Amino acid sequence: MASRRWRGLPQQGRSEEYYEELARIINLCQSISTKSDDPFLVDIPQKLTILKRLLPKWKLIDDLLMDAEAIRELSLMVKLQSDWVKRRASGLFIDPFLVEVKIKLLSKEALAYSVLSSWHPLVAMDQLTPERLEDALDYWNSILPISQRVKEESPDQTASDRTVDIAELVRLRFISERAFNEDIQKMRSRLIESAKEGPIDYWEFVLGPTYEETVMNAYRLSFLVSKGLANLIINPIEETILVEPAEGVENRRGGRSVAINISYEKWRNMIKEAEKA
Amino acid sequence: MSEDASLSKKIRKAAQLIMYQHHRLPGVKGYELKKYIGKDFMKVVSLLQRKLDDLGLEVKIVYSDGLDHPNPTEEELEQARFYVISKAPLQMGDASLSGWRIDTLAVFAATVAYLTSKQGRAPRRDVEELLQEKFPDWKIDQDLNRFIRRGYLDEDQNGVLFVGWRTRVEIDRKHLLDMIAGSSPERVSLEPESND
Repeated sequence: MASRRWRGLPQQGRSEEYYEELARIINLCQSISTKSDDPFLVDIPQKLTILKRLLPKWKLIDDLLMDAEAIRELSLMVKLQSDWVKRRASGLFIDPFLVEVKIKLLSKEALAYSVLSSWHPLVAMDQLTPERLEDALDYWNSILPISQRVKEESPDQTASDRTVDIAELVRLRFISERAFNEDIQKMRSRLIESAKEGPIDYWEFVLGPTYEETVMNAYRLSFLVSKGLANLIINPIEETILVEPAEGVENRRGGRSVAINISYEKWRNMIKEAEKA
Repeated sequence: MSEDASLSKKIRKAAQLIMYQHHRLPGVKGYELKKYIGKDFMKVVSLLQRKLDDLGLEVKIVYSDGLDHPNPTEEELEQARFYVISKAPLQMGDASLSGWRIDTLAVFAATVAYLTSKQGRAPRRDVEELLQEKFPDWKIDQDLNRFIRRGYLDEDQNGVLFVGWRTRVEIDRKHLLDMIAGSSPERVSLEPESND
């Protein structure tokens, strides 16, 4: 389960009290869930009323995600309430405070005895089938001595996948820092120009005449978004992604990452549609 | 094949499925028994139970929610896991058989009782604070990690401890709570019980 603690996201130009209210609901549920406190401490209908009242105020994807997280936490509370009732009925319910006091009062020997008298060891057997034995023999016969295996291992096999950042690409002289910055600047100017009359469609913006160019555009745009120079507005219901220019790093909103898949098939379909249009 | 022979074959198959470890965990799921034995797998399990009685063993059914179900539905039985356990609990003289020292058993008893009273889960920090009344920090850490490794406890990435699968199978938690909270007619004492 996610342990993220919402502390009321500061949103420029938006009223923080709504976020505080939402964050309080999420934190309360998470705290009860973690500490195994009484889940009936959460008044579910009242919290749902609050969420319903706040719903029209949410505009951005982050708002809706936070709202969804609150709903998820409340639904978990309902499950915990159900478990709580089942547990009380099962005879496993006992006041935790009483148990705590008794544990402190009992001697080590008495505690050990209590667990031994409740312990019914498991009976299980390991087995080896003739088929598995045969597999093992085949494997043993085919495997090379470890000294030879180490020798034969190519350098490629030992290298692991990792992410290479811009600074490293520049250091490796794979790209030029100046050229990259110019590209980013051009992309930003194009975005400002295209989104003069409001946010524009993401795909329309990144689509290029070739697949490689489309991927490069998407990559540059992601860089702008990471830097807080562009905002993505994702509507999960209508499945649309809009993009708009932003003021800069200061306006950057909480560290959420969004994966957008650009497959060759998708690019080809988009090009076909663009040609038809 | 006569009906008796067929039933005997099914009982043997059920015993094999339940007792031989097939995957990472011992035991077998209800739907696997149904697949290999047939729809009447519970009847076969009851017959196996009768045979195991003589050996001092019993079939334990652990439901997916970890609670007892006096009248389980077919679906609950299919999702449950079946194990064979020793019918009689360990005696004080058997303590050494568990491979744990008395103080490790005491840490285990306190931890399981506390977690059970807290709906089966509690932050590790809270458990450690409780145990610190009686045990040194190094021992608590070592023992909790040992219980996790053996499947008696589980811990998530947020440092919350859970009752593990093996505790649900092997420990009669209701009896343990009764013993510790003193509501059981059996007194917590060190007097060895008779083995009759």
